[in-house]
Amino acid sequence: MKKVTVNGQGPSGNLALRVYRNAYFRYILFGVIISLLPMLAQSGVMPSSFLVNIGSVLIYAVVAMGLNLLLGYSGLISLGTAGFMGLGAYISGYLTEAMELPFLVAVLVAIVVAALLGTLVGFVSLRVAGIYLAIATLCVSEILRKTFEELDQFTNGFSGFTAGYPILFGISLKREATFVLLTVVLVLVMMLTHNLVNGQMGRALHAMRGSEVAAQAMGINLLKYRLIVFAIATAYAALGGALYMHFVKFSYPSTWIMMFSLNILAVVVIGGLRSIYGTVIGALIVFAVPDLVLKRIPVIGKIDGIAYIFTGVLIILVIMFYPNGVVGLRQDLKRLMSKLFGKKKEGAHHV
Amino acid sequence: MSKHHSSTGTLASDQVLNITDLSIQFGGLKAVEGLSFDVKEKEIFGLIGPNGAGKTTAFNCITQFYHPDRGQVLFRTRSGEVMDLVGHPVHQIIRLGLVRTFQNVEVIKELSLIDNVLIGAHTDFKSTILEQALRLPRARREEKEMRRKAEEALEFMGIAHLKDAPAGGQPYGVLKKVEMARTLMCRPKLIILDEPAAGLNDSETAELAQTIRRVRDTYHCTILLVEHDMRLVMNICDRICAISFGQFLACGTPEEIQNNKLVQEAYLGEEEGE
Amino acid sequence: MSTFLQVVLRSLETGGVYALAALGIIIIFRTSNITHFAQGSMGMFNTFVVATLVTSLQLPLWAAALCGICTAIVLGCLVDFVIIRRTKKVSPVAKQIITLGLIMVFVGLAPMLFGVDPLMLPRFIDSGDLNILGATLSYNGLLNILLGFVIMLVLFYVLQKTKMGIAIRTTASNEPVARLMGVPTRNVTLFAWALAACLGCLSGVMIAPTTSVTPNVMDPVQINALIACVLGGFQTFYGPVLGAYIIAIGKNLLTLYVSSVWGEQLMYLLVLLFIVFRPQGLVGKKFIKKV
Repeated sequence: MKKVTVNGQGPSGNLALRVYRNAYFRYILFGVIISLLPMLAQSGVMPSSFLVNIGSVLIYAVVAMGLNLLLGYSGLISLGTAGFMGLGAYISGYLTEAMELPFLVAVLVAIVVAALLGTLVGFVSLRVAGIYLAIATLCVSEILRKTFEELDQFTNGFSGFTAGYPILFGISLKREATFVLLTVVLVLVMMLTHNLVNGQMGRALHAMRGSEVAAQAMGINLLKYRLIVFAIATAYAALGGALYMHFVKFSYPSTWIMMFSLNILAVVVIGGLRSIYGTVIGALIVFAVPDLVLKRIPVIGKIDGIAYIFTGVLIILVIMFYPNGVVGLRQDLKRLMSKLFGKKKEGAHHV
Repeated sequence: MSKHHSSTGTLASDQVLNITDLSIQFGGLKAVEGLSFDVKEKEIFGLIGPNGAGKTTAFNCITQFYHPDRGQVLFRTRSGEVMDLVGHPVHQIIRLGLVRTFQNVEVIKELSLIDNVLIGAHTDFKSTILEQALRLPRARREEKEMRRKAEEALEFMGIAHLKDAPAGGQPYGVLKKVEMARTLMCRPKLIILDEPAAGLNDSETAELAQTIRRVRDTYHCTILLVEHDMRLVMNICDRICAISFGQFLACGTPEEIQNNKLVQEAYLGEEEGE
Repeated sequence: MSTFLQVVLRSLETGGVYALAALGIIIIFRTSNITHFAQGSMGMFNTFVVATLVTSLQLPLWAAALCGICTAIVLGCLVDFVIIRRTKKVSPVAKQIITLGLIMVFVGLAPMLFGVDPLMLPRFIDSGDLNILGATLSYNGLLNILLGFVIMLVLFYVLQKTKMGIAIRTTASNEPVARLMGVPTRNVTLFAWALAACLGCLSGVMIAPTTSVTPNVMDPVQINALIACVLGGFQTFYGPVLGAYIIAIGKNLLTLYVSSVWGEQLMYLLVLLFIVFRPQGLVGKKFIKKV
């Protein structure tokens, strides 16, 4: 998947194939397919409650994309995701509901505020890399969560804050339309991330993960890239939070706890570090499979806490035995296929 | 820090690097003490010494990974300016035209060879993060141009056919070439090689000697070799500086160094010690 | 003055709980090079065992606590044996993620095995208050404070004087060399995991009576213990203990004298600022980066 980085420069002259190989085309195709789901729900093929589940998965995929930039590309761990997502949710909720600002403005403010805070964390990360960073970011998240509890004139405290579906250019969106909006945002985030990780910045992050010393010798300013990557990751988290506020329509301080950050971390680890599609697949596995699949299995579905056990065990198994995550399966399947279907082909590959 | 960007001191017109009275100590241990030498333009210069002589420390003081306690590191940048490197942030050194390799090759396993080489061009990118995120024309053009340049560098090192292969799983020799190709991306004035022969067999070392000469001749740069392996150094260096226990021993042509009593003693002492 | 003393006494109680949990974390860190995020959730799980034994089987608390410690030992050994031992080649951050996965497993297992309803855990000493210079302290609180001190003293004695303690310290300072010198590092890590689980269980039994036993009963303990380790530094065994008491006292004093709303956040912020300026923590040496 990663190989298709350069636009339309496939080796084949076939136009259809070239279009298909174009990474952007694939992202858009993916988005179009997802946005057909509301139709399926309306025609009754799929229970319409699925829409809420899948919609949340899209939101979590956006958030996890940010964490993947940190954990996957830069090798920096963060447990602050929940706090920043909550921050985005409360800011955009408050701005649209209490101050009656337009949806887009509210989201933008949420993103900018979170990104600024994220830069501060980035600064901390330069001093306390490695094992300390998880704890430091957890600390930040705790501070934010406590603040959500205490600042009840803005957040409505423990009783939770409610908001409506977004109003875009004077049109109030319904659930289905909001779902399509989520898809559009996810596809845009995927394309943006694709551009970032396949260019100069992506290489700089890789270099930083590999060796800080070597990265500096290559002229990479650690401070600059730490700040940027934390700003982007928190911006994604805040964007996801704002979307959450206007799709799920309520937000409690108890939502934005460490367990939530862990779920997002699980998305990245299980889906596949450094993979854009992997992040989406990971979100599907962590957030949709327990609700849509596990709970429907007769005996197992009745067990309380099965979702956590499922995700937790999966994280441990992936780290221990399959560090490439679920997307690694594709390559391994390919390898297996070529092994099964004649050794000649494989031999040719190696030359 | 006040020394920043000031062109103190002078450099003879044929010199590219001049080190005077370089000293650094770690908790009382004098790792390098009063070291002085100079490197001339288009020269292949060797810095040698027995194990623990302070070669790597000296080199880290030049590239500013360590900030020396005392001394001057005058360098003629790629724009021709003369600058004291002491006090410069590490990541700015490469912009001046001074680039290094690593003793235990530092390449990114997950990236393809060409992407690894492109890291070397990091400081030459002009487009902003936003331009890159949106793939605006300038970012696209730059990426294409750099990619072409990286291909040339790989071609020069003779591994262009591997450009899209991931670096992970490549043999050590190939990775060393990738590192060398990466240094060529930043229009270098001076390349410092940290023990390039470490881990190579005889035929590979012979090939390396060829490559180093070709790099110097094709890219018109100077090469400073920090090396433990005497064969390579004696074979290709124009001049050599020998140090021991952080102090200057001798400087001269390979023959002069080989016949120098102090150098012989330093190396002999080491062999007895082993 | 009496409120001040009251706050300090309370803080000594919670500080002791944090310190025990922090000791567990640091012992794991030093022997297995893992920041143990699941210390709290393993403690929570074993506290559930204790609470279930007390409520369902009507066992006296001390007997139930002993059983809890036994399950803690089994669980600790199991985690080391099944998972940690097989992750020698995994990077520190990935190991950290494994313990994060463990949190989820235990938080999921607790309702599965013990039901979704919160359980109540009685105090060791039911009632009775001690009056010290106008401040009151329950006998149970006093017991907790003393218990914390005693356990820590015993532990430091074990670490300093016994063969196992020396083995732990050797493993902590350099695992490969310790192994080459004939220290049974595998047994050491096994022991460390069992010990950490016991400490987790004890801190759980101490904190649970103040609330109820739920899957997130240990969350504050876990977070404060981790922050205590960062504050005290990961390089000594006593640093985190020091950090734990500082955090407990600091948090309560800030809440009392500065702001009841922002006290806790302020404490965390101060710790963050502190590690920005002194990443190695209160006690600990600075590393020189090797190039």
